[in-house]
Amino acid sequence: MLARVANNLFWMGRYIERAEHVARYLNVNYFASLDAPNEQSQSRQFVLQSMLFMADDLIDLESELDEEKVLYDIGLNPEKSFSIISYVKAARENANSARDLISTELYEAINKFYHFVLNYDVDNYVKRGLYDFSIQVTENSSILRGKIRGTLLHDEVYAIIMLGINIERATQIIRIINSKYRDATVALGSYGDTLKNSYEWTTLLKCAESYDMMRRFYRKTPTSINTLEFLILNPDCPRSVMNSLNQVKKHIYVLSDEKLPSKNSAAFQIGKVKAKYQYKVIEEIESDLQTFIQNILDDLNGIALKLENDYFHY
Amino acid sequence: MQPAKPTFESYKRDPKLYDEIFDETDQVREIYNTLFDLYSEHSAADFNRLNNKAKSSFFNQGITFQVYGDHEVKEKIFPFDLFPRIIDPSEWEIIETGVLQRSKALNEFLWDLYHDKKIIKNGIVPLELISSSVNYLDQMNGFDPPGGIYNHISGTDIIKHSDGQYYVLEDNIRCPSGVSYVICNRTALKRALFGVFNHYQTHSVTNYAENLLEMMESVKPHGVDIPNCVVITPGIYNSAYYEHSYLAKAMGVELVEGRDLFVENDFVYMKTINGPEKVDVIYRRIDDQFLDPLEFRPDSALGVPGLMAAYKQGNVCLVNAPGTGVADDKAIYTYMPEIIKYYLNEEPILNNVPTYHCSRPDELQYVLDHIPELVVKPVDEAGGYGISIGNKLTSEEIEEVKKTLKAHPRKYIAQPIMSLSVHPTYIEESECFEPRHVDLRTFTLLGADKSFVLKGGLTRVALRKGNLIVNSSQGGGSKDTWILKNNQ
Repeated sequence: MLARVANNLFWMGRYIERAEHVARYLNVNYFASLDAPNEQSQSRQFVLQSMLFMADDLIDLESELDEEKVLYDIGLNPEKSFSIISYVKAARENANSARDLISTELYEAINKFYHFVLNYDVDNYVKRGLYDFSIQVTENSSILRGKIRGTLLHDEVYAIIMLGINIERATQIIRIINSKYRDATVALGSYGDTLKNSYEWTTLLKCAESYDMMRRFYRKTPTSINTLEFLILNPDCPRSVMNSLNQVKKHIYVLSDEKLPSKNSAAFQIGKVKAKYQYKVIEEIESDLQTFIQNILDDLNGIALKLENDYFHY
Repeated sequence: MQPAKPTFESYKRDPKLYDEIFDETDQVREIYNTLFDLYSEHSAADFNRLNNKAKSSFFNQGITFQVYGDHEVKEKIFPFDLFPRIIDPSEWEIIETGVLQRSKALNEFLWDLYHDKKIIKNGIVPLELISSSVNYLDQMNGFDPPGGIYNHISGTDIIKHSDGQYYVLEDNIRCPSGVSYVICNRTALKRALFGVFNHYQTHSVTNYAENLLEMMESVKPHGVDIPNCVVITPGIYNSAYYEHSYLAKAMGVELVEGRDLFVENDFVYMKTINGPEKVDVIYRRIDDQFLDPLEFRPDSALGVPGLMAAYKQGNVCLVNAPGTGVADDKAIYTYMPEIIKYYLNEEPILNNVPTYHCSRPDELQYVLDHIPELVVKPVDEAGGYGISIGNKLTSEEIEEVKKTLKAHPRKYIAQPIMSLSVHPTYIEESECFEPRHVDLRTFTLLGADKSFVLKGGLTRVALRKGNLIVNSSQGGGSKDTWILKNNQ
């Protein structure tokens, strides 16, 4: 498999996952805010800031935000590299360069997704179409995942796409946690009594499509501790960081045939990162979430860089 | 509710043209009888619906070509017509043997041009024609391509004239494209009107890719056991990218770009996730001039430095061979009957359109005197560009053409205005069938001890009324083309 094409497929996986998480974040936050139990969580500025903070690294938190502009920038502004439309375009372009390697069914699904986003009426979207748009983006992403799993050979091509998807999933979950943690801090005291019991944890779980299963698992109201534990450390939660790392570890072995990976290899580094988080306890993480977030983002970046050096350099 | 409008009711046969479906007495030709009845059952509304379905199917599958606009590249589908063209087995026999004969003769011709040049020495083809061709590559002189093949893949454009005879318009032996549309059209028609295939025994077109791969493997370099074949493309922004990716995928080989390959010690490698992997046969869909910046255009970013050296060492095979363009020049086309006789000692099976070559003074004079009756074509343009059709020109335009011809006679040929046959085609605006001009591109493969003609072809349709130019870049469409099996 060509190194250039492998790189494109890796990024195709990442962009699909990114588009999905951003869309879900928009949807869940916007609609959760409409009937949130406190004024702060209902505040439109608060929600818009949160959305922009999640989507863009370089947001100015001081200025007054315009709802239509924020929605446009995150959803359909082709000039913004962090917009959903840019991610979908990039995913499709990457798929295009690997069209001979992926199934017709997968390509057709990506292509339909692209045309859906490209032709979505901007005016409708910023005024009343947010729900429809974001739901369709997440549904299209699910279709793509289904086509990836169900129509591709589970070989190198598949492994590379899955590496991209899982590294990105972990990254996005961390970004969502980061945003919601910030929201919970800002909204502190307005619901319940402390950060631990903030309404934002419920929103966070819904952003990760993990609310129902989390309730089933703990049979408790979401708090900072059980929410973070579920989303970061629970290996059975499909969107947890731990599950993503396990997947990354599994798929790297399709590319690397070393039983005992050499210490300079991507497989070794992935194993090391996985082991580092496998035996963490949530109290330790929760007590200094900011440091944890920075560390894990650095670790995930490190893995992606290593993969690039080992496999995608051309 | 309005009564359904019969889609053939308003069809007007032009008695001056050959109609593929209706004969001179306005009767449906026998071969089309069943099909005509089946299609007559459909109303205009049915056709509209099916037509839209077919269009969105092509669009969703990304079977598109790119049109370059001011800001963004637009994707267009190649319009697809739901009424197929049928070719009778006995007529196909003539076409198939005819195109194969031409491809073989062209291959011999190329061998000769790059070796002994006997045909020039014997005074059959004039030296100036070759020496003035920009497509002649000195680098190929004396070189023996693997398997002895130059034009592994040929596309021959054929029309049916008002006399009911087939004529070859041109031979394309550089990078003929369109074969992917043949296969997509068949798929689209099967999906839209699957019932019609129960009534006809049609040859499959899906076996092209396996024959292409077999052909490529047959011209592997000396000493290679199982050859590693690839398709090279200029990239995703090329207008024929869909076809490149389709062919690679259908053959199960890598689709590479120039930047994926490198040459070391005169061997070609591709850069894979597991390190370099040797490449043996390259189906190249980039032009000669971009193949190797060390040999040709130094500014080419599409090619591979050192590729020609590896080729000349015999370590890799290029399909088609560089330098084949010298033989598909429209000026050479004039000599095709002589070329066939010279190398194969056979009479040409398919007719050439009578052609006047403007580099010959007496023929130039004839052309200058008869422009309104002629089509003037540049010898080296593709896509239907630069063509002047005499009876469509104003007197000023005629003077303009005359001036150009006198200034660059070598660059032009002229042919009588051929009346391409017409075929009923569904026209969206009028919601009924109207006659439109069609041609046919066939696809021929030549390998070492192996040849293959795809039983089918790309029927291109000029969608504008009266227009003779069928190229997709000029708004043409296409039809599924059926070659019937012998037993019906």
